[in-house]
Formats: sequence, structure tokens, C-alpha cells
Amino acid sequence: MNALALSWPALPFADDALKTPGMADYAAPSDADLVAATLGGDEEAFAELVRRHKRRVFGTAARFARDDHQVDDIAQEVFVRAFRHLGKFRGEAPFEHWLARITVSACYDFLRKERRIREQVSLDAHDFDARDTNIDAALAAGRARELVEFAMRKLSAEERLIVTLAELEERSMREIAALTGWSEANVKVRAFRARQNLKKILEVSHER
Amino acid sequence: MNDNAEEKLDALFAAARADQCDTSRVEFGFETRLAARLREEGGGSVAAWAWKLCPFFAALALAAAWWGQVNLRAEATTEIISEATQGNAEQVLLAYMTGERR
Repeated sequence: MNALALSWPALPFADDALKTPGMADYAAPSDADLVAATLGGDEEAFAELVRRHKRRVFGTAARFARDDHQVDDIAQEVFVRAFRHLGKFRGEAPFEHWLARITVSACYDFLRKERRIREQVSLDAHDFDARDTNIDAALAAGRARELVEFAMRKLSAEERLIVTLAELEERSMREIAALTGWSEANVKVRAFRARQNLKKILEVSHER
Repeated sequence: MNDNAEEKLDALFAAARADQCDTSRVEFGFETRLAARLREEGGGSVAAWAWKLCPFFAALALAAAWWGQVNLRAEATTEIISEATQGNAEQVLLAYMTGERR
């Protein structure tokens, strides 16, 4: 444990510090402080970073993965990558943004891996349930998420990533470009194509 | 299915957005699982490096064996020549031909 950790032994919640007289000087350390402490070998500092940001990472991962194990795997992968590359965090942008890029990258890898598996293993039986579902019926039955997942599984990993970030996470094209490292024009074109493909997929499934 | 399709798609996305997954169950004990994985990967790094260095050590062993073999042959040849030059060339040649010497 280094000096930072010792000066912050019993402050698990920022609210406690505000309530305790004489403790106001001990503000909760910033993400940058925690990163520095982690790089100095303080494991508890990294655990605090995880506690702070895991909710958002899990929320994003849950948009891409179907079951709890997959969500957990993605979240673990995100924080393992963050831990390994923590030295590369320069602090020019907030830690949250840096972590979001790692999250998107891990989700993209997950989608590509999942697609490879799906190409090898037929999932027709799984698709059959959703085949008769049209948009109106899905909305009425509260099964919008299921129908979106069904249609998205037919998109490429790139398209699925962009649609998820744009339509479900409501991120702007510029944000998506920054998160993926693709150009904004490229993201716009892919987003447009993805929407067209989705419409086709839903039309076809509705006509059947 | 044009403008109508766009509207329906937007409505579908809006409904899917509203259907937020509750991840609190998966989040439970996450730090412990993550710490275990990080520790496991950290501990495994020495073994991983040792495994990666296997070809290098194998090549080193082969090179050492070859070097030893070459040195042995050179020593044997030197010994034969030195004995032959000392005047008992015939005996040395005989021993060499019958396989008593190598």
C-alpha cells in the first residue's frame, strides 16, 4: 500500500467524508489519482476504479451479449485490458472515456467471435421463435428487445456495433467514430446501411 | 414500407432502449472474480514466458550438442596425427582401420 492508500483508509463512500467533521479535507481521490496509485502497486485503488465504473461497463456489455456469463466475460475482459494498459492512460481525456473505448473494443471482439461461432453452428431453431414476430406485435407484447436482437444477429459485427451504439446507447456519430477509431464518414455510411439491412430483415421476417 | 418502416424501426429501438437489463445480479462479486483472474494471469506470466522460451532453449541445447560433437572429432583427429607423427604410424593406422580407435 502506498501513501495515497494510507491517507484514504476508511472512505469507501464520498458521502461519509462530507458527513464527518474534520474529514472534509479528505476528498475522494480522482480517477487519475487512483490510476497513479494502481501503477504504484496499490491493488485496492484499482478495485475502487472498478467499483466506480463497472455499472456503465456492464450496461454497455448487456446491450451486446445475451446471457449473464457473456456479460460477465466482456466486463472482465474490459477491466483486464484496462489493468494491463493502465500505463498508457495519459489523463488527457477522462478515465471514463478511455475505458469506454476499451469497452467498445471488447464488445466488438465479442461480436466477431460470436459471429464466427454462429457461422459454424446453426441457430435456426433459435430464430424460429422470432420469425413470426412483426414490429407491431413485438411492441404490443413488450418483446421489442427480443426482436431487435433477432434482427441484429443477421447483421455484420461492424453494423451491429454501430447500430447498438447509435440506436440503443444513443451515441452521436462523432462519439462512435471516437470510440471505434473509424472515420465519421465511415460510421455514417455503415449506420445507414445497417438501418437499411435491418428494415429488409424485418420486412422479410414479417412477410413469412 | 418506407417512411412507415422508418417510424416503426424508431419505435422498436425506443422500446428496446427502455427495456434496460438489470445487471446488478451479474455485478455481484465481480471485483473478487476479477481480482482472481488478474492474480491468475499475473502468476501465469512466468510460466507463459518459460513456455515461449522453450524453442530458444531447445535450439541452444542442439547447438551445444553439435559443438561438443565437433570438438570431440577434432580432438580425436589431432590425437591420431600426433601419435602417427611420433613414429608408430602403422600401429595407429591399423587401430584406426580395425575400429579400436575412432
